[in-house]
Amino acid sequence: MSESTIDPSPSAPPDIGSAAGASGAGASKAALFRVRWNRSKYLFLLFLPALIYYLMFKYVPMFGILISFKDYNPFQGVWDSPWVGLKHYTLFFESPDSMKLVKNTIVLGAYKILFGFPAPVILALLLNEVRIALVKRVVQTISYLPHFISNVVVVGMMALFLSPTGGIVNQAIGWFGHDSINFMQNENYFRSLYILSEIWQHIGWETIIYLAALSAIDPLLYEAATVDGASRWHQLRHVTLPGIVPAIVTLLILNVGHVLDIGFEKVLLMQNPSIYSTADVLSTYVYRTGIQAMNYSYGTAIDLFASLVNLFFIFTANWISRRVSGTSLW
Amino acid sequence: MRKKFTGVLSVVMGCGLLLGACSDGSSTTKSNEGGSADASGETPGQTLTFLDYSNPSWPYDANWKVWEYIKEKTGVTLDVQVPAGNLLEDALSLTIASGDMPDLMWTQQKATADKFGQQGALVNILDYVDEMPNFKAWMEQHPVETQNVLSYDGKMYVFPNEGLGESNRRTWMYREDVFKELNLAPPKNWDELYDTLKKLKAAYPDSYPLTFRGGLRYFQDFGAGFGVPAPVETNKASFYPDEATGEWKYAAVQDEYKEMLMYFNKFYKEGLIPKDFLTIDTKMWQDIVSTNRAFITLDYIGRIDFYNFALRPDNPDFSMSFMAPPAALDGPQKNVFTATMEEGFMISSKSPKIKDIVKFIDYFYSEDGRKAVSWGKEGETYRGDAFIEKYTDITDLRKKTGLSTDGTYTWFDFDSHISVSSPELQSAYEQAPQYDGEKQSLPAFAPEEQQVLSTKGDSLNSHRDENFAKFIIGTRSFDEWDQFVEEQKKLGYEEILDIYKKASERAKAAVK
Repeated sequence: MSESTIDPSPSAPPDIGSAAGASGAGASKAALFRVRWNRSKYLFLLFLPALIYYLMFKYVPMFGILISFKDYNPFQGVWDSPWVGLKHYTLFFESPDSMKLVKNTIVLGAYKILFGFPAPVILALLLNEVRIALVKRVVQTISYLPHFISNVVVVGMMALFLSPTGGIVNQAIGWFGHDSINFMQNENYFRSLYILSEIWQHIGWETIIYLAALSAIDPLLYEAATVDGASRWHQLRHVTLPGIVPAIVTLLILNVGHVLDIGFEKVLLMQNPSIYSTADVLSTYVYRTGIQAMNYSYGTAIDLFASLVNLFFIFTANWISRRVSGTSLW
Repeated sequence: MRKKFTGVLSVVMGCGLLLGACSDGSSTTKSNEGGSADASGETPGQTLTFLDYSNPSWPYDANWKVWEYIKEKTGVTLDVQVPAGNLLEDALSLTIASGDMPDLMWTQQKATADKFGQQGALVNILDYVDEMPNFKAWMEQHPVETQNVLSYDGKMYVFPNEGLGESNRRTWMYREDVFKELNLAPPKNWDELYDTLKKLKAAYPDSYPLTFRGGLRYFQDFGAGFGVPAPVETNKASFYPDEATGEWKYAAVQDEYKEMLMYFNKFYKEGLIPKDFLTIDTKMWQDIVSTNRAFITLDYIGRIDFYNFALRPDNPDFSMSFMAPPAALDGPQKNVFTATMEEGFMISSKSPKIKDIVKFIDYFYSEDGRKAVSWGKEGETYRGDAFIEKYTDITDLRKKTGLSTDGTYTWFDFDSHISVSSPELQSAYEQAPQYDGEKQSLPAFAPEEQQVLSTKGDSLNSHRDENFAKFIIGTRSFDEWDQFVEEQKKLGYEEILDIYKKASERAKAAVK
């Protein structure tokens, strides 16, 4: 996206065209280039940090994929480590845990999209209907504050509030005469807790982009709708929603592409042995077997596999979206 | 927020490979010793570069007296580099991958030494034993410590240490004042433990009389009473050498283990341990103990002083004391032997000064060296059997002198630590050794074995932890124990048991 906005405009202004025309056809291309370069060199300068960032942190690291086909030994280096073909991939798929891990990861990712994705859209639509600007601003600020709280603190708060030994939630449950619930150590609660806390953390932040899209809707459309006798509900359905559908679809496709990238920190922090059956996901497994046990190649192989699955999902989502709604990433 | 491991990993590697110098510049901060430059005229000594660990509780200080004493005795000045962010193991990987290693390096894990040693980065110390008369004599006196640092193929990449491991000792503790108040005696076996916990709970309904931290980790210590002292950690399989035969066994499938889990299941149901025992961290544990809600606990022995010092100002009667481990099934009263430590010096294979380095380290294995690193200098820091200055605790001693901080010792006289402890802790140190289990020799694994342990072993361990938790919480009935054993078998504990057996046989052969 950044490229297209700062690309030098292909259509040259008329005065340059005439200058080039005067100096002949051979020199014109070079002259044109120089003029264009001069005009946009500061734009390139602005673009440079982004370019360097992508090269350094997105393209150069791809070189590391190599080690998933090798028995990587840091002292020998990437080149001199022996090739082992698909050994690490077979090792993973033959492991009795692989199916459970992939399932847990996909289920958690799918829940996150199913429940986590519509939440900010709904909040944005609700905020859009609020008439008093002060209320709107206060709600917005409060709702995006949790985004800045670190995962460590969030999980610490959950453990504290939900603790069966004196947590406030269980005290409240106790008032109704119910036995305390061991939330953090029950495998059936893990997914709900994870998704709910994710929504609480990020709902306000993710609303910002929808609010921006909402502000771009032409007010004339609302006026026309009112004249035609549309109620507020009708306006929401026929003016507001269609206005932000492109933003929704774009973000949905991007989110689908991250279905296997479950936020690693939070899952790891919430994990304990009694909830492994739902809370052990690919990234925590990679952390244990790949990083902690120093099997770098094995960890890389699993991560590459996860990236391929993500790629598959994003292509599929994009293809469906192009067929169905006409909106797509490419 | 999302961590991309391939990304992170490859950046780290790219860093090591493409920009070889990067690790030296960005991952370690060189800190030159203050006194080294001016003093170099007097002694014909050497300067050795040393990648050391800086503990956040007593951060590295170039002006510590201990560096002075080491220099006085050996003529060697250590040019210490401290890893950025205190991640020693990460700094070691980067430094070694970059190929630009300091002469000496400190490690906290023997596995790190084995791994990099086998890759050729470290000196095999056994090749230089003839130049280390003190060390040679020391090895003969300390065969177990020596064997513990050998790699799977009988090489030695890290120097063994002895003495300071004592501070890693874990033990049972109890609230002596509360027991007296309720007329209770410390339980001698697990049935008595159960009765005692019930009485405590009856007297203090809000309490969780037995509280411990770290989830399942201390089941290694609890297991000692049942004769199954095997580690229960995510990256360690639960194997232990049988006390009677010395043969390796898998703890999780033994009947004794089931017995122990049944006790814990009972404790859990009756609220004798916290409902969230799996997620109790250090902070929560300290809260519960210090607010009179736990009366028996198991932890590092130094915690006796930690609680007594902190809580007596408010509650003068508060008394946390050493408790003998309760026995089970008519067995003996035993603790698992935890008074060991894996830290030690490693020598770079690329150093041009290897002969000088081994001579330098050899000094640490002499009686004189042991005295110097444990007590400092006669007349200056200590006189006879006591320090001259009055230190409030061991941290205070470390911060002020640098004695017993990382990278200053290998053979240590623990009496120096005992001399700054409270009378309660001193008595605990006296009583604890009589309940010691066997010193376990850690087997060393070949790289291929290591890979099986970390992949197949991981499935086995997570299944084990999950089910231990379920048995205790009661979501799985003990009627299904045989089924659980069968599941563990399917996950291949027998294959891993074989690896342990082979590794320990290899180690025994290597010693001869």
